[in-house]
Amino acid sequence: MWKRVKSANSLYLPAAVLFAAGLLLTGCETTKKVAAVEKAPEALEHNLGAYESTVVPFTKQYCLSCHDAEHAKGDVDFESYESPELALADVEFWRKVSEMVQTGQMPPKKQPQPTAEEIAAVVAFLDGEHTAQRAAAKPDPGRVTMRRLNRAEYNNTVRDLLGVDFRPADDFPADDTGYGFDTIGSVLSLSPLLMEKYLAAAERIAHDVVVRESCDDVTGAKRYVFTCEHPNKPHAKVCAERVLEPLARRAYRRPPASEEIEKLTGFVDLAYENDDTFEQGIEIALQAILVSPQFIYRIEHNAPARFGKEERRLEDYELASRISYFIWSSMPDAELLDAAHDGALRNPRVLRTQLQRMLRDPRSIALADHFAGQWLEFRNMTIADPDPKLFPLFNDGLRNAMTQETMLFFESIVQNDRSILDFIDADYTYLNEALAKHYGIDGVTGAAFRRVVVDPAQRGGVLTHASILTVTSYPTRTSPVLRGVWVLQNILASPPPPPPPDVPALEAAKIDPNAPMRAKLEEHRKNESCASCHARIDPLGFGLENFDAVGAWRTTEGGQTIDNSGTLPDGRSFSGVAELKKTLMDRKDDFARCLTQKMLTYGLGRGLEPYDAPAIDKMVENLARNDYRFSALVYEIVRSLPFQKRRGEVETNGDTIAKADVEP
Amino acid sequence: MATQSQRRTLNRRTFLRGIGASIALPMLDAMASSAPKVAASVSPVRMAFVYIPNGVIVEDWTPATDGKDFVLPHILEPLAPHRHKLLVLSGLSQRNAQALGDGGGDHARAAAVFLTGVHPNKTDGSDIRNGISVDQIAAQHIGHHTRYASLELTCEPGKLAGNCDTGYSCAYSNSISWRTETTPNPPEGNPRAVFDRLFGGGSENLDPETREKRKKYRGSILDFVLEDTQSLQKSLGPTDRRKLDEYLYAIRTIEHRIESNEKLAAGEVELDVPESAPKDYAEYARLMFDLQVLAFRTDQTRVSTFMMAHEGSNRAYREVGVTGGHHGISHHQGDTAKISDIRKINRYHMEQFAYFIEKLSATEDGDGTLLDHSMILYGSGIGDGNVHNHNNLPILLAGNAGGIVKSGRHIKYADDTPLNNLYLNMLEHAGVPTEKLGDSTGQLNYLGEV
Repeated sequence: MWKRVKSANSLYLPAAVLFAAGLLLTGCETTKKVAAVEKAPEALEHNLGAYESTVVPFTKQYCLSCHDAEHAKGDVDFESYESPELALADVEFWRKVSEMVQTGQMPPKKQPQPTAEEIAAVVAFLDGEHTAQRAAAKPDPGRVTMRRLNRAEYNNTVRDLLGVDFRPADDFPADDTGYGFDTIGSVLSLSPLLMEKYLAAAERIAHDVVVRESCDDVTGAKRYVFTCEHPNKPHAKVCAERVLEPLARRAYRRPPASEEIEKLTGFVDLAYENDDTFEQGIEIALQAILVSPQFIYRIEHNAPARFGKEERRLEDYELASRISYFIWSSMPDAELLDAAHDGALRNPRVLRTQLQRMLRDPRSIALADHFAGQWLEFRNMTIADPDPKLFPLFNDGLRNAMTQETMLFFESIVQNDRSILDFIDADYTYLNEALAKHYGIDGVTGAAFRRVVVDPAQRGGVLTHASILTVTSYPTRTSPVLRGVWVLQNILASPPPPPPPDVPALEAAKIDPNAPMRAKLEEHRKNESCASCHARIDPLGFGLENFDAVGAWRTTEGGQTIDNSGTLPDGRSFSGVAELKKTLMDRKDDFARCLTQKMLTYGLGRGLEPYDAPAIDKMVENLARNDYRFSALVYEIVRSLPFQKRRGEVETNGDTIAKADVEP
Repeated sequence: MATQSQRRTLNRRTFLRGIGASIALPMLDAMASSAPKVAASVSPVRMAFVYIPNGVIVEDWTPATDGKDFVLPHILEPLAPHRHKLLVLSGLSQRNAQALGDGGGDHARAAAVFLTGVHPNKTDGSDIRNGISVDQIAAQHIGHHTRYASLELTCEPGKLAGNCDTGYSCAYSNSISWRTETTPNPPEGNPRAVFDRLFGGGSENLDPETREKRKKYRGSILDFVLEDTQSLQKSLGPTDRRKLDEYLYAIRTIEHRIESNEKLAAGEVELDVPESAPKDYAEYARLMFDLQVLAFRTDQTRVSTFMMAHEGSNRAYREVGVTGGHHGISHHQGDTAKISDIRKINRYHMEQFAYFIEKLSATEDGDGTLLDHSMILYGSGIGDGNVHNHNNLPILLAGNAGGIVKSGRHIKYADDTPLNNLYLNMLEHAGVPTEKLGDSTGQLNYLGEV
């Protein structure tokens, strides 16, 4: 798969090996191998002398006994580079090495340990290289694969386009996810089954809308389609244009070409030819619009070939669509389309005003529902399945209340433009009677939710929400591992690499199956190959052990007092959730980076690549400067290079499409 | 006509070569030393592929002896009444489901590889790539005889958020059917939707004139979007154009369906289908099996895939007293309580499958039963769930493909024999002789001999 060239004196490192090992994640599992392999090394002046004198001896002494070509433990092999320059070009790899060494995860504790000075020297060199390389790299906005509307976007779009409220897409097959989100262009596929559903939905929607608007008591303001009606046949064409032009503009989220309108009005002629009415003609045209690729996909044209692979700024309408699907999971409204028409979205002041307006609009609930639901994974509450014998009080009412708490909490941060740090630590939450009882909090009565001030020693912040605690548990018990991984992945931008493929074989027979969970985990951290990851996963989960598998507070389990203490690889210790939250608050920058990366992935609809790093650095920096306010995060994302621009794509050989690919 | 069909085959051949599968040209009699083994019966051959996740307790699956006189082990016992219609096949493997340098993710790979035999590209989203699955090879060649080229069904919707398996997009663990290298067929989990698609919502109640008009309008809508698509293609880059191909393919499929005869007497089908999926697992699974039997019986399709749960599923089977999540306990590490729970799940799945086989064998079809004319594969892409290996997979084949398959035996193949070799046999029996699919090395021996 990749070429491995070995030289006697220098350490060679193939990018593909490391990327394949899943090791080179900048966080939130976003980095991709393709880009790094594709990209030619920049002609950057590396400090090769310092590399040979600092890094090479260090890796020889502390790394190579496991990570040479022969052993390549964890698929990490320091010995195969094509040159020191190429090795150093793998910024993300060295960043990870730097992190492992700095946080004491590597080398393993049983192995000879480097001195503090040795570590400092290596880290300083690598960080310097890292900064220099980022500064020298050519900015690249990347390219998003054409995105099909996902189910939520389809529902919201027909709601806003036509006032349809019966959520036709709920019957569509589930959308596949990638990078943790269902907005990823390359993953959203279109099967014949889905196309059947599109056709059926279009028929039903068009019929309902035309019937509804044909009723005389529907006033002009409630009309989504018929801006002109019941024409005499000679005026049919003019009237059809007056109906279909604005409709197509909104449905395609851009001004339609005159030929497009011509073709659409042709459906009215067709209806007349078949002795049907004007309204029926419009109904067919509307059906056609709703199954057109211009509606179903969000299209961004490829830059003209003469520009080759060069980037281009998005057109104003394209940008408007990106913004509205990011914040509303729906089409741009009239005001946003007008702003695009006027070219005003390039003006930072106008953009800021528009974003604030959109965040205040009720449609921004889509961010809580779809972004937060997937980022924090509470969408999985619908399939959470706690054991009814062990948790007899868990029912659908409580299930919904748990989801509602996190939704309302997220929404309050959006609406009050609070600091994103509230996600980690806050002294308030949203409860109704059922959930308050579940939490052991008195004084909340009735089914309605309200803001409740809570004791920070027990509640406050998403880590203490029953929704999060339930989706990270097994049906019968908590899982410190799942919870720890959740924190690393969704809060700290530092997801652990995947477990090796043969885990159970390593462990079998060594661990007494009847030992308590904590003891089992301790036993398995004694295994060297498990320890490096579980030393940072498990303690985070232990800190949450006062919450049972449905998020209720507990101080004992099976008669034993809960041990809620944990020690991280860097030596920091904590006991219980309040101290765990403090530990996390010490890492504001990591959290800001994590949330930024997650939201950028969601908003763009593609996985992040190493070349996105400078843009992300800038966003995180500006976010801190703006007191971590939620609106600043949204503004920074929309203003960023990957959101504003698009790289072109050139034809290559082999792009010719086989006929059988498109013909059944 | 002959020329046209031959050109069609040639096109497919050219296309399929590019993805690691090649289809043999129809052999001319003069050239053939022996005729390909295709069912002689007038009834068409049907194929179903039933998937169970997380492997099995191998000792309770594999019969102790091979040949005709094997004793059904605990997990296979529910199939006792149909023992003579079964082939238990040991030693088959999907080596491309192994890590091969890609690290963790055995569950995602197990599902992705099960019907393709191709090592999937490890990605969380960009550049999803697998192989074409065996059911889709069949569907591409025999699908035009029926209204639906194939059906893809599931008894469990995939996870809704987070990762499905480390570093792999959920597309890999949620679908076993792949229409192209890059396009999985997401399975339908709502029995009502499947029923309506097959038998309901049709235009049979409309008067002929309205029906004709409706067909005409639909036709012009499809023409309109096809033109739209063609003009759009010009302004897209290669990646987006490939995305648009999915759209184009889907539209063409539907065009074909409108042209084909939609005859189906409404009274012909009797099945009570609830609005949403039943909560009880057995009821749910049996309903999905009923739908497949109906679809085969009425010749709506001849190919189906069915995931009894998605790979890596953590469902708690409380119906049989198992409270832990399936995936969690499958890594039992020798714990006898967990092993016993996994056995229960394995057997519970098998009981539902036995219901399917029973139904097929009780449904008359041409000169025999549906089961006589079918090849029903049942199995997992994981052997032993505890260590998730991908060799010695649990594989069953039920039915006789119109008499070619001689059932009622346990056949042991050499370890690491590609499971895809079996697919070559199955494809040939379905009238789709195929030279290579994924990692296949040639057809399996002994299927047609006693």
